[in-house]
Amino acid sequence: MLPGKVKAVVDNPKKISNLIDLVNLPSTLREFMGQSRTSRLGCFKHVWSYIKKHNLQDPKNKNIVNCDEKLKSILLGKEKVDLAELPMLIKLHFPKQPK
Amino acid sequence: MGKLPPSFRNAKLPMTALLKKPNSAVLAEQQSSSQKPHYLAKTTPVKKPKKTQPEAAIQVPQVNFNSHNLSDAKTLFNQLVAAPGKLPFDLKFCNSIFQSFSLSASVQDSIFFLKHMIKAHPPFSPDRSTYHVLLVQSCKAPDLSLSSVHQVLNFMSGQGFPPNKVSLDISVRTLCSSGREEHAIELVKELSARDLPPDSFTYNFLVKHLVKNRELSTVNSYIKEMRECFDVKPDLVTYTIMIDNVCNKKNLREAMRLLGVLSEEGYKPDCYVFNTIMKGHCMLSQSSEVLEVYRKMLEEGVKPDLVTYNTLIYGLSKSGRVKEAKKFLRVMAETGHFPDAVTYTSLMNGMCREGDALGALALLEEMEAQGCTPNACTYNTLLHGLCKARLLDKGIQLYKVMKEGNMELETGSYGTFLRALCRNGRVPEAYEVFDYAVESKSMTDVAAYTTLESTLKWLKKAKEQGLAV
Repeated sequence: MLPGKVKAVVDNPKKISNLIDLVNLPSTLREFMGQSRTSRLGCFKHVWSYIKKHNLQDPKNKNIVNCDEKLKSILLGKEKVDLAELPMLIKLHFPKQPK
Repeated sequence: MGKLPPSFRNAKLPMTALLKKPNSAVLAEQQSSSQKPHYLAKTTPVKKPKKTQPEAAIQVPQVNFNSHNLSDAKTLFNQLVAAPGKLPFDLKFCNSIFQSFSLSASVQDSIFFLKHMIKAHPPFSPDRSTYHVLLVQSCKAPDLSLSSVHQVLNFMSGQGFPPNKVSLDISVRTLCSSGREEHAIELVKELSARDLPPDSFTYNFLVKHLVKNRELSTVNSYIKEMRECFDVKPDLVTYTIMIDNVCNKKNLREAMRLLGVLSEEGYKPDCYVFNTIMKGHCMLSQSSEVLEVYRKMLEEGVKPDLVTYNTLIYGLSKSGRVKEAKKFLRVMAETGHFPDAVTYTSLMNGMCREGDALGALALLEEMEAQGCTPNACTYNTLLHGLCKARLLDKGIQLYKVMKEGNMELETGSYGTFLRALCRNGRVPEAYEVFDYAVESKSMTDVAAYTTLESTLKWLKKAKEQGLAV
């Protein structure tokens, strides 16, 4: 069931552009990214590598990310974030573009 | 319909590696390139300039034909000729100078320049290869008509080198690779009318190219016209190309029609034709028909080769007839064929499909014991099968082996693996696999990410329904 679904997403140009189009960032994110424009995919990769680089995963339960101040500022101010939620949280910064 | 496991589904490796390698379309191409050294030899000077240019650049640093200005080029050439250095003014060198100019200049200017070269340096007498440089240039240009090609051909004839088969072949190949298929057809017809019909290599090259890039009707009308107007008939290779094409498009009916035509023309289908048709049935999961083709082959006294067996085993495994497929391993051994990675992978695929992932894993060991090295496709098949059979731990072990071997993940097995990991609450490992997929460039970042994202979304839903950890 899933592979078929995924393929549909990859084939869908709208969904792809939603992922890779450069977007003007809100000020909170701009500071974290060090860029004024980025794509949702780029943002996700940046946040994920930031988590890895600063060892923010809870050593006892790797599912949990213990946010530092900087990360907290972009993830709704949460202390702890479930790794599985990450894409959804980042998506919040990229609202659907009105046509 | 075709229930390919994801690991077989979209990758560059599987279906093609499984089946296409041997089909005679490819073979024809190989043949045509290997059997045509005389063509290549004639065109080699075309490729030389890279070698000779730096040479010229060292001795006369200003040699640079980047400007398309004709008079600049003439002056430069005069300087070169007058230069006291020991420039090797042989044919090759002159050709390379000429080519580097014609690369950026118009055909008309190139002709002028060539004339100037002959005048300024009389020992230089251009031969066919020189004119072919010009011909290739005129075919590359994105023109709306063949006028510049005609111009070159006329010029060649005027210089005592009327176009021959090589000229035609080069032109057709260049025109096709520049997306000017219609012009290629036009040229072939024109020259056929002037008593220069294409040889089978040129003819089949064009058919192969048309089949890929144009409608079937275009190909058919090309073949028909060539037959009716110039008595150039398709040969066995042509038919194999056509059959392969319609099989790939799952149009088995047309394939059967072509098979009939082929026999009517007095050709006997060979191993490649049979393999191709067998592949067509495989794609539609028609295992009985696959066996039927095999029987027919034996009946007609055509010896099956490794590809036949691989196709057969693949087709049977795909339709859940693994037991029968395994029998053919023995038949292979009896006829002196060694099963290769493709054979084993097809079998594993069939076993995984039946849910016997452990059996497939055992086959991997057997395969390695036989001295046959598994490839990425083998591992992807197994990974997919293990995850489907909820043998995640074994799957993870296998994944580690793959990672050590820098093997690429296929989209299908990647998705299945991610889902299995997430279902078992191992999200961080799923992230790690995502990293590997991106790092190893197994797929585009977008594909890797969308799979991860939708898997996590799916996980959330499953959790809400109490289905996952």
